Amino acid sequence: MTKHLLETDGQVCPFPLVEAKQAINQIDLGDELIINFDCTQATDSIPQWAAENGYPVTEFIKRGAAEWSITVRKA
Amino acid sequence: MFHMIISGLLLGTVLGFVFQRGRFCVTGAFRDLFTTRSTRWFTAFMVIVAVQSIGVFALDAVGVIELGGGTFPWLGTIIGGFIFGFAIVLAGGCATGTYYRAGEGLVGSWLALIFYILGAAAFRFGPLAGTTDSIRSIEISNGNLYETIGVTPWILVILLVAAVAVAALRHLNRERQVHKMSLPATKTGLAHVLTERAWHPFMTAVIIGVIATLAWPLSWATGRESGLGITGPSANIGVFLGTGDMALVDWGMMLVLGLLIGSFIAAKASGEFKIRVPDATTTVRSITGGAMMGWGAAWAGGCTIGNAMVNTATFGFQGWTALLFMVLGTGAATRIFITNHKRQGAGPKPVLSTVS
Repeated sequence: MTKHLLETDGQVCPFPLVEAKQAINQIDLGDELIINFDCTQATDSIPQWAAENGYPVTEFIKRGAAEWSITVRKA
Repeated sequence: MFHMIISGLLLGTVLGFVFQRGRFCVTGAFRDLFTTRSTRWFTAFMVIVAVQSIGVFALDAVGVIELGGGTFPWLGTIIGGFIFGFAIVLAGGCATGTYYRAGEGLVGSWLALIFYILGAAAFRFGPLAGTTDSIRSIEISNGNLYETIGVTPWILVILLVAAVAVAALRHLNRERQVHKMSLPATKTGLAHVLTERAWHPFMTAVIIGVIATLAWPLSWATGRESGLGITGPSANIGVFLGTGDMALVDWGMMLVLGLLIGSFIAAKASGEFKIRVPDATTTVRSITGGAMMGWGAAWAGGCTIGNAMVNTATFGFQGWTALLFMVLGTGAATRIFITNHKRQGAGPKPVLSTVS
């Protein structure tokens, strides 16, 4: 299992989600994608996307002021 | 007079707080129709319209406010609505979204806001106001649906509420079948609910609907006979800064200033305030989008709030037409700027490999 990091800090919504969708297509099944983001709206849209697509969220944390990180497994 | 318009500041502050905490973005609601084909946020938007519709016609029935009349400047509404819908994708938020994101510390939204104010002032009062007057002089004399077809507005209210309720229930049913992760709680009680917990879009929408309803009598009491509005007050800020004309300082101006204050308080209290400087592409888009928003809203007679959320609730032809063309404009810009998004260096980088 490989963990991959997608750094989207500085990107306004909806680009973190757009890039997450592109990134998940590039990793292998069973691998994990860590998405760092700093746009508030993605705290809703990324877990919503993961839930609707059946990707388990293995970690969802607040890194700092207006900075979050979510890890989803490609399943 | 000042004690009267202060209610605008208070209501705006509450509204800014709710928008920030609810992550309520009308641009997102329209955009999702095209990017993910999701109607979740659009349904939430329509919940606001439905709640407000009940509220304003009840206020009209008891005589607190007086609805009806007006005309329908169709050409300006169609073209302006499309321009506005296109612009909000570039700016990364509609008028309200730009105000509340400015309060969160997004410098791109500061720029969009400044150029929106300039654009709105130029097209309402400045050198470009003639274009607005010309296009909005092309009108149909009937302004709203219920007076045109000669029925009580309550028939339309009931139909609207029923349609929105069906859509909302469908979403709630579907949600029960998926498990959505939320951030771990670090606060308890009221602090958790107000400054940490994720609010459900429909709950946020009901609160905004009630606030939007309250806006009518509060604004009416100061002589400003309408509900929530963003573009007019924003244009007034632009003119006021240049002229110092105190007559422009009204309930609406207090409302939009409140949005900034409320979203700043919400973001600060939730640990979500950070000054975020945009890259070159985003900077250009924010400025262009902001100016185009001012232009489109002036021609259309309002933004996503004044037109698509408030004038729809009173069944104005302008509001519903603007809503449709704003969504179409958003769709066009989404195809160009979102669907084809490619960022240099963006992509997954392997950071850790383990044998599993």
